[in-house]
Amino acid sequence: MLSNPARVKIIWLQGITCNGNTHSFLNDPALGNFLESAEFIHHPLLPCKNTLKELVKKLPKSDILIFEGAYSASFERAGMAMETLLPALASKTKHIISLGSCASFGGIFKEGNPDQISGIVFDKEEEKGPLRAMREKVITLSGCPAHPKWLSFVIDMIVSGKKIALDEYRRPKELYGYLVHNGCLRNEYFEWKVDSHHFGTKEGCLYYAQGCQGPFTHGSCNKILWNEVSSKTRSGTPCVGCTEPTFPKSNLFSTKTYMSIPSEMPLGIPKRSYLALAGAAKSFHIKRLEERLIDDNA
Amino acid sequence: MITHELIERIEGEAVLDFKTDKSGVVQDANIRFIHFRGMEAILEGRNALDALVITPRVCGICGHSHLIATVKMIENVYRNAGVSIRISDKANAIRQITLSCELIQNHIKWLYLVMLHESAKMLGEEPGVALKALYVSSQVNQLCALFSGQWPHSSYALPGGVTCDPTHIEVMQALKILSDVECFIRDEVLGCDVDAFAQAMEQNKVLSLTGDFGTVLRNFERLGVLEQGKSHSRFLVLGDTQEIIVNSQRSGAIAENVSEDSSQTFAEGGNTYAKNALYNGEFFETGPLARALVQERTGISALHRLYGDSALTRITARVDEMVSLCAEVRELLMSLDLSQPSFITPPSIESISGEGIGIVEAPRGSLIHRATIEKGKIVSYTIITPTQWNLGNGTSMIPGIAQKAMIGAASTAKASLLFRTFDVCSVCTTH
Repeated sequence: MLSNPARVKIIWLQGITCNGNTHSFLNDPALGNFLESAEFIHHPLLPCKNTLKELVKKLPKSDILIFEGAYSASFERAGMAMETLLPALASKTKHIISLGSCASFGGIFKEGNPDQISGIVFDKEEEKGPLRAMREKVITLSGCPAHPKWLSFVIDMIVSGKKIALDEYRRPKELYGYLVHNGCLRNEYFEWKVDSHHFGTKEGCLYYAQGCQGPFTHGSCNKILWNEVSSKTRSGTPCVGCTEPTFPKSNLFSTKTYMSIPSEMPLGIPKRSYLALAGAAKSFHIKRLEERLIDDNA
Repeated sequence: MITHELIERIEGEAVLDFKTDKSGVVQDANIRFIHFRGMEAILEGRNALDALVITPRVCGICGHSHLIATVKMIENVYRNAGVSIRISDKANAIRQITLSCELIQNHIKWLYLVMLHESAKMLGEEPGVALKALYVSSQVNQLCALFSGQWPHSSYALPGGVTCDPTHIEVMQALKILSDVECFIRDEVLGCDVDAFAQAMEQNKVLSLTGDFGTVLRNFERLGVLEQGKSHSRFLVLGDTQEIIVNSQRSGAIAENVSEDSSQTFAEGGNTYAKNALYNGEFFETGPLARALVQERTGISALHRLYGDSALTRITARVDEMVSLCAEVRELLMSLDLSQPSFITPPSIESISGEGIGIVEAPRGSLIHRATIEKGKIVSYTIITPTQWNLGNGTSMIPGIAQKAMIGAASTAKASLLFRTFDVCSVCTTH
C-alpha cells in the first residue's frame, strides 16, 4: 500500500444538466480505488462533507473543481446565482475540470437559450465563457457524456503532478488526439469505401450514408470502450460528434453529400485526394466485403 | 409554522415548503421545482430522428427510457400516416432488455444511495459510499451497452428496429452479467433466494429479511414511518398495458384522458416549473407500485391489502420489480432469435407527416412522448414524465400523490424521507 497522506479534495458542482456525467462517472468499476485517494467536499449524489447549502455558505477551498452542465449567469444552486458561485469556487481551487460538452461548449442545453447559455471557458468555438481569465487551470473533458475513465485519468495525472498536453480547446491530447474513427470495427469498410446499406448490420461503414461523424470527431471511444465493452459505432450507431463544440448538429442520421461523397471530409484530408482514392478503392469491388461477415447466424 | 427544505441528493434539486403545527406535525407540503431547460422547444424544427439523440439528454439516469419513448412515438406517426413500419421480434426483445436494465440499475441506486443512506443518516449512523451497489449498477449498465453501445445516452433504437446486430458472444456475456446481478440481489439486497422473498411478502415477514432491503424497512420502522406515506391509492399504468386502479378496481385507461395542468408554474404566476399530470382531472400514482398492482404480482398485492400504499409497500414494490425484471431479461436473452433482422428500413422520414404518441414504463412510471411531424420535421413536441404524476402539486383540499403522502408526518425530516420513497427526479419533472 502506498502511503497517501492527503486525499485530493474535490468539489463537484452542477450547472444546467441532465446528470449524465454524474451517472457516467458512477459506471467506473474502479470507483472504490478512486475514492481511496480522493475526497468529495461536495458531490450531487455520493456521500460528501458539505451539502449544497453548506457549500454555498462556506465556499470552501479545493484541489479540483469539477463543473458539470452548462453555464448561465442567473442559474441558481441553493439560492446562489452561478455568476457568484462559480467564480467564487473557481478562484479557490487549483484545477478546474470542465466535464461534458455542456460545461465545455454549451452543449444541448445551449440550444434552449443560445444568448444566455455557454460553457465555462468556451461558448461553442469561441473563448468567451465566464472563466476564460482562469483558462490556464481549466482542463476540458468534452463528450455527452464524458467517459468515466477520461475523468479518472485526468485526476490521476493531476494527483501525480504530471503535465497534461492539451489541444486548442484544452482537451488532453492523450484522450482527444484520436478520432472516434480510430479503432472502429468497420475501418476496413471505410478503407475500401464499402457503404453500410442499412442500419442493424455488422457490415459496412456508416460514414457514407448514415451520418457517422467518427472520421472527424476527436475522442477515444473506440480505444477506451464504453461500459468496458462497446461504443456507438460498434453497436451500429453513427457517431454524433458529441465531443466537439459543434454538438449538436442537425440531421444526425444521414450524411450530407456533395458530388456523391460526404461533404465533410475525414479530418485533414483534402477533398481532391479523397476523391481520387475513393474512386480507386471502389473500383475493386471486393467480394468478401460485400458479403455478410457471418453467413448463418442461427 | 412555514419552513422551506432544499431536497438534495436526488436527480437535481427540489424545494419543499412545509406548514407544520406546534408539535411539528406536517399539515401541508408544497412541492416546487426551480430549474428548467426547455427540452421541448429545443426539439422543434429539427429532423424527427434527431429527437433520438436529444431526448435521452432529458435525464442522466433514465435517458434510455426517453429514447424508447421517442422511437415508439415516431413509429406511431408512421402508422398514423398510413405507412407500414415493421419491427422484428428480435429488435423488440432487445429494446425490452436494455430498457429493463435501465430500470434495474435505477432501483439499485435508489435503494442504496437514497433509501438506505438517508434513513441511516436520520438514525444518526454514518453510512459510507455504497460501492458494492454502484459496482453492480455499472455491471447492469454494461449488460445494456452490449446491445446499446453505451449507457447513458445511447441512440441505438431507430424507427424500424435497433442498430446493433449482436452475436451469441454478446448474449453469452449478457447472461453471465445477469447471473452476477441476480447473485447480488439474492445475497446483498434480499439476504435470501427469490422464492423465500416471495414467501416473505405473502406471509407478511419482509421485515425479518436479513439483506439491505430488510435494513431499509427496519430503519423506516425505527423512525416510525414504515406504515406512513399513504396517498390516494389511485394507480395508473399507460406503458405496456393501459389501466387504472381506483378503490382497488381495475379498469382500462386511454391516453386521451391525460392532461397537463400548468396553473402553478412561473409562467402562470406560480412558483414552480413543474406542470401536473392528471388523468380525468385527478392525481394518480405511477411507477413500480402501480405496475405491480396492475400485473397482480402476488407479494405486492398481499402487502397492499395489509398496508395500503404506505412506504412499506412502495419500497417493496421497487425491490420486487428488480427481481421480476431480472427474470424477464433472462427469458428474453434465452429466447433471442439472432437470425431475425435487427432493422427493417422504413420509408424515409422526410415523406412522413402526422401525429404520434409513444409511451414506455420508465423507472418512475409511465413516460409519454407526443409530437406532430411535418414532412419529417418536428412541429411540436410534448413530454409528460412519471414524476409529473407522482410529484404533482395540488392544494391542501386536493393534494397531489407525494403531497398527500407527506401530510401527517411527525416532522419535516420524516416527510422529506417519505417524499424520497417516490424516487424523486427534478430534471425529468421540469425537463
